[in-house]
Amino acid sequence: MTQRLNHIVPNVVVGVWLAMGFLTVQPVLAEEKAAVTAPPGSTLQSVSVSAPMVKGALPADDPNAAVWSSATMARFPMSPQVHWPNRILDATVKDLNVRALHDGTNVAILLEYADPTEDPDDSAAIEFMVGDKKAHFAHGQPMAQVEGGPVNIWYWKNKDNKGVDMNAKGFGTLKVQTHQDVKAKGTYANGTWKVVFTRPLATEHPDEDTQIATGGFINIAFAVWDGKKDVSGELKEKGSQKAVTSWWNFRAEAPPDYSSYYYAAIAVGVALGFQFVLIRKLKKGHSA
Amino acid sequence: MGPLIKLIVLNMVVYAILKFMVPNIPGSAPLPASLVFLYMMLTTSGFVIFATVSAESKEAFWGPIQRFLTGEGGGGLQALRYGVLILFPLLVGWQTYNSTAVSDAPPSENRTIHPAPPGEYTGLSNPISKTPDAIQQGKGFYAAFCSPCHGGNFDGKGPASRGFNPPPANFSDPTTIAMLQESYLFWRIKKGGVGLPIEGMPWKSAMPRWEVELPDEWIWKIILGEYDGAHQAPRTWE
Repeated sequence: MTQRLNHIVPNVVVGVWLAMGFLTVQPVLAEEKAAVTAPPGSTLQSVSVSAPMVKGALPADDPNAAVWSSATMARFPMSPQVHWPNRILDATVKDLNVRALHDGTNVAILLEYADPTEDPDDSAAIEFMVGDKKAHFAHGQPMAQVEGGPVNIWYWKNKDNKGVDMNAKGFGTLKVQTHQDVKAKGTYANGTWKVVFTRPLATEHPDEDTQIATGGFINIAFAVWDGKKDVSGELKEKGSQKAVTSWWNFRAEAPPDYSSYYYAAIAVGVALGFQFVLIRKLKKGHSA
Repeated sequence: MGPLIKLIVLNMVVYAILKFMVPNIPGSAPLPASLVFLYMMLTTSGFVIFATVSAESKEAFWGPIQRFLTGEGGGGLQALRYGVLILFPLLVGWQTYNSTAVSDAPPSENRTIHPAPPGEYTGLSNPISKTPDAIQQGKGFYAAFCSPCHGGNFDGKGPASRGFNPPPANFSDPTTIAMLQESYLFWRIKKGGVGLPIEGMPWKSAMPRWEVELPDEWIWKIILGEYDGAHQAPRTWE
């Protein structure tokens, strides 16, 4: 008996070692597969903002709260707004870092970007589509062959230091909503703006406000204005002259779902059973 | 050489060809992992059919597999056998987890990069003669209006391109303007991103609608300058 065990144990140990070795290689193969489907250039930038669900109050007034670190930071390069006049060919803000959290009722989005000077007219905005219709990222302007919908814009300006909830459907149609659901607070330190926007995930105005259902992806875009004045006293960036991104993705994460672990455990059981039956049958077949 | 070894060697050769040789054929591209897997499955199935046509060849093929699985094969392979017996259920579990777990990736969007233009923009010929003067003028307009995004080198990497998704087209890439007619470029420049049909996802495009700012003649000259600068020629009617 002991002799038999002496034979089996080393074999089992090496077998486990071989199996584990292969399993560590497996994720590398899976990653290669993912790279094929990712959009080009995605190594340099994010494609999505993911807001994990947290317990306790959201840090609406505190961009430096520790809980922000539980959200993965997304990074989006920004372009000067060149899409329609009056355009600019160079904007101050080149990159935007975004984190987001939600507590099942409210969502908080933190924008973080470098701006060498603090100015009263420094501003930032987040844009969403409203409803099922697609909207162009430039203020929901009309499209020739597609019937577009409106956009919902959450706006913050340093001198007011509050959130403004707005809608637009085309250039020159920007309108402040009669009901304000968005709060915003900006903090400037060490050449960096940190602006936190908060709003309930769902509101009572689905025709004007974007509705955020957990688990699903929605479109998101950003804009930033450097409110610095030039020598003649004119604002460097204002109105359509700003740094922008086109549409990316946003998701408020659904509460954790462990069902895939159960399915995996059942699958391992079935596979073990299959092996057992197969080997039994093969052994019987041989001895017969 | 046993048939099993042959099968393994054959699959390794197929993998090496698909992975390292095919992408290097001019005009080809790296194959997706799923396609490589499919070809290897086909190779394996073909080999199994071939190896099991007669009773002797069937025994030569399945015999070693059966002896390996039942543990009759002898000492040296025992460790490998336990490895396989542990690995197989774990892989099944892993695959099940992957296919049922909620994906972190946003839904993929199949955007058509070059959708069909409206009828009135097909087959138009450039009314501007391709003279050195016209090309030069076109390049000047290109530098002023297009190069901030499409780049001074016509490579789509202008300083204003970085925030846009999809990125501005790279004209030096043989799969962009070299595949298109001048009339197609005329449509895309004149009507811009918002002129695209739904499959082109017009809501994402940052391409300006230049008809509100530039006369047609300038657009035609830009097209001449663009092809010349990017060292490409427009596609013509075959």
